[in-house]
Amino acid sequence: MVKEIERAGIPVVHICTVTPISMTVGANRIVPAVAIPHPLGNPALSADEEKALRRKILTTALEAACTEVDGQTIFEVK
Amino acid sequence: MKLEVGYIQIRDIQFGETPMVKDGTLYVNAGELEALVLEDEYLAAVSFDIARPGESVRISPVKDVIEPRAKVEGSGDIFPGVISKVDTVGSGKTHVLRGAAVVTVGKIVGFQEGIIDMTGLGAQYTPFSKTVNLVANFTPKDGLSAHEYEAAARKAGLKIAYALGKLGVDMRPDDTKVYEFESLVEGLKKYPDLPRVGYVQMLQSQGLLHDTYVYGVDMKQSITTMLSPTEIMDGAIISGNCVSACDKNTTYHHQNNPVIEDLFSEHGKTLNFTAMIITNENVYLADKIRSSDWTAKLVDQLDLDGVIISQEGFGNPDTDLIMNCKKTEATGTKTVIITNEYAGRDGTSQSLADADPSADALVTGGNSNQVVTLPKLDKVIGTLEYTEKIAGGFAGNTDAQGSITVEIQAITGATNELGFNLLSAR
Repeated sequence: MVKEIERAGIPVVHICTVTPISMTVGANRIVPAVAIPHPLGNPALSADEEKALRRKILTTALEAACTEVDGQTIFEVK
Repeated sequence: MKLEVGYIQIRDIQFGETPMVKDGTLYVNAGELEALVLEDEYLAAVSFDIARPGESVRISPVKDVIEPRAKVEGSGDIFPGVISKVDTVGSGKTHVLRGAAVVTVGKIVGFQEGIIDMTGLGAQYTPFSKTVNLVANFTPKDGLSAHEYEAAARKAGLKIAYALGKLGVDMRPDDTKVYEFESLVEGLKKYPDLPRVGYVQMLQSQGLLHDTYVYGVDMKQSITTMLSPTEIMDGAIISGNCVSACDKNTTYHHQNNPVIEDLFSEHGKTLNFTAMIITNENVYLADKIRSSDWTAKLVDQLDLDGVIISQEGFGNPDTDLIMNCKKTEATGTKTVIITNEYAGRDGTSQSLADADPSADALVTGGNSNQVVTLPKLDKVIGTLEYTEKIAGGFAGNTDAQGSITVEIQAITGATNELGFNLLSAR
């Protein structure tokens, strides 16, 4: 899906836990997620901490979408 | 470590008053076993059935399959850290009731439990159509969580197998085999010219009902480690896992791991079976990286010439497999991987979720998406209520005649990644 949408000219950010698979399938902008059963959340955190974590992942993804890349790039969540 | 395994051939199971093995028949007292199972506060009821090879019987949803074994000599006892106290097993003498198995069924825990057919097409895809099965059908108490029910059913199955195994302790085995796993130095001195080969077994540890226990330790909480393959024959590794039926290793598979069996049979002839490494398949990327780093470190430090890596399950564990393969190959160790495929119903899709050029020697257990139609059988042990929902099933897969169409991933052991199954392209 990532590749097909990108083929249509729209930049795509792939948020995923297993970034090596994302690299194998050829995504260009990759943001690491938390874990396979809960990519954008973390049940070990409080609700407020979890919301902050989600915001951070999403912000990283939005920044990645606006960044020119020269080949496959992983954008680490800071 | 040296383990002598004595096989007592079982050709039939019968219900009887006195539990015993006589002339190849295992007699079980259902009342006694029921009392044993109901010691668990989470189980409300259990019923027992016997399923024999060739009978028109369908067993579903199958959770685990276990071989009855007992220690005769040596430290520890079967299923250490789970049913027996924690103590190192794998040496001395062990008796096996060969040909018999305990199969656990009951209301579904997750959605990845399996089908065992004792006759017809389905029987060809599962090795447990050839064992005489004592099937324990559990009813959980109301209001249990899936995890509580899974743990209760898992332990009850092991307890039954343990109780049956004990019946063989004082018997004279029909056949005996000795497995000797030498220390590193002994092996090197004895076979200086043979290639030193290790076995890396990946254990399913994704959590959410996909877990494996080693001496009672939840494998997702362990880093990659080593043990003697003879320990596994004494039940050091048990399955607590509801991953797809076709490629989960049941406890029976662990007790009879064919990779270990074959490495032992070549040991001292064509190779030196030097090390057994176990690693996990966790859901965090950092865990995958750390565990595969550790696999490669051990392989490198042991200075192995070659390794065989077997996977369990599919999907994201394909990445653990490829990471293990890439990193062991990078240490200069020749690596062969054993996996299976999800190549779509027509077999034309990509087989694994991950790939790498270093994975250039691969053995496959077959395509789990292959579709089969299983004819209606006379008797059902358990329930067919979930045949649409289990992995490999789909809505409307039962026709008017009662035939069930499924992908073979719904069949217990169909594409096993230890090579326990019989699928072949020939």
